[in-house]
Amino acid sequence: MEPERHDVVVVGGGPAGMVAALEAARAGLTVALVEESDALGGQYYRQRAPALRAALGPHRPRGQRLIEAVRAAGVRVRTSTLVWGADGRTLMTSDTRDAGIGAIAGDAVVLATGGFERSVPFPGWELPGVVTPGCALRLASVDGVPVGKRVVVAGTGPLLLVAAHDLLRAGAERLRVFELGRGYRLDRGSLAAARHPARIAQLGGLLAGLARHRVRVEAGMRIVRAEGDGRVERVTVASADRPEAASTVEVDAVAVAFGLRPSTELVQLLGAAVRPDPAAPGDVLPVLDRYGETSVPGVFVVGEVAGIGGAPLAESRGRVAGRRIAERLGRRPRPARGLQRRRARQEAFAAFTAARFPVPSGLLAAIADEALVCRCEGLTARQVRAAAVEMGGDLAAVKALSRAGMGPCQGRACGPAVAALAAEAGGAAGSAMRVQMPVKPILVRVPAGGGQAPAS
Amino acid sequence: MSAPAGTVRFWLDGEPCSAPDGQSLVAALLRHGAWRMSRNPVTGEARGPHCGIGVCFECVVTVDGRGVRSCMERVRDGLRVQTAAGDGT
Repeated sequence: MEPERHDVVVVGGGPAGMVAALEAARAGLTVALVEESDALGGQYYRQRAPALRAALGPHRPRGQRLIEAVRAAGVRVRTSTLVWGADGRTLMTSDTRDAGIGAIAGDAVVLATGGFERSVPFPGWELPGVVTPGCALRLASVDGVPVGKRVVVAGTGPLLLVAAHDLLRAGAERLRVFELGRGYRLDRGSLAAARHPARIAQLGGLLAGLARHRVRVEAGMRIVRAEGDGRVERVTVASADRPEAASTVEVDAVAVAFGLRPSTELVQLLGAAVRPDPAAPGDVLPVLDRYGETSVPGVFVVGEVAGIGGAPLAESRGRVAGRRIAERLGRRPRPARGLQRRRARQEAFAAFTAARFPVPSGLLAAIADEALVCRCEGLTARQVRAAAVEMGGDLAAVKALSRAGMGPCQGRACGPAVAALAAEAGGAAGSAMRVQMPVKPILVRVPAGGGQAPAS
Repeated sequence: MSAPAGTVRFWLDGEPCSAPDGQSLVAALLRHGAWRMSRNPVTGEARGPHCGIGVCFECVVTVDGRGVRSCMERVRDGLRVQTAAGDGT
């Protein structure tokens, strides 16, 4: 198939991808921006549908301005288009509405595929009503629907506070926040926060908002199990230091995750060099130069895929890469003074936040035997551990024997947990599941009047 | 049948429902208490939305005969949605 050709192809229409596309287009390049969902914005700048905007007002209006700027700059926007494979700088696409297969190629390719939340399995986490904080946040803030009246928000990281805050605004009434870490404690390490006054003000606003509803962060606590008849009804929470000090909370819903992970599937598929993420066992980060270029010439990585850091940093990374590509392809972008300095400051804040909310290395190895690890294939930690022992801890063999990671999510939910259980049985520490095409299940057209079925 | 401006009607397991036009389908379903969306093919258990961003495939429902991730769809007028709760098991 002859691919559609552009100077630049950007994958992912969030903050980083939009800004990279905008910079390249403004410098005179032809740019295509490919996005899996039906609208630009990504998770952070997801916009409300007009009917909801009329009722609730605009949500993060900077996102709307960016979307309009991208379109005004002449970027070819391809929404509802999933990139499922790659060969060199040619990307294989699938139309999520009609299953149409296509290919798109660029002299430069920018991967801005974002991140997703890190799950640590516990008994009952597969029950309906157990979601991630990001899921609860999106439902509350964009759609105006709280996941429940009585909600437990748990795990680790600042996203818990944002989710809790917006859940209260959307109508949740009895909310508890259990933060595993002690990142909000004032100590020697927290002094560096003084260099980021705007971010500290933001945090203060969130905490004050929670305090108005008499909600405080209960630190050093985690969910041990969730129970319910076909839907979550209660969770048991315990102190991380003293697991015997457990108590039960009645809930309608639970929002739990342990920070974010970069979506590096396409980075790996394109053969770009990656390195183990020092802060997160089982995850990898792309190896990048200061402009975001990978070890494969012409392939750039921006936004959360380059390392979790939030929307302002994602925009800066997108701007740096977009301008670099423009220069590389013989254009002269307008000067942008202080861009690298601002970006360095944002990188420093991202590193500070990551250090304040570490993913404890023992968390995955401590998964209870009865917990479902691979949700898709219905496999418990006990079953995965047995496969790991039989296969001497070799991750690929454990996967093949147990089918862990072979369902529709392709190991995105369970990958690090399966890798940790394999390592327990003598496998290499820090190994990750191999990325395969298609990187996400795609619709296939069945001829002769058949329906459409997802293929994986 | 008249609905307020910006509201659409859809069918949830055969029952008429309404939602703001263009709201994410997952939100429209949860607002009607439809947490049990898909059924795990191995264990047979009902599953509900988890990640909310198209990664986990637990919120798949049948819309007009096609399996879709409800977190990646929007509610539209006349949509016919079938969930795990409506499959008679």
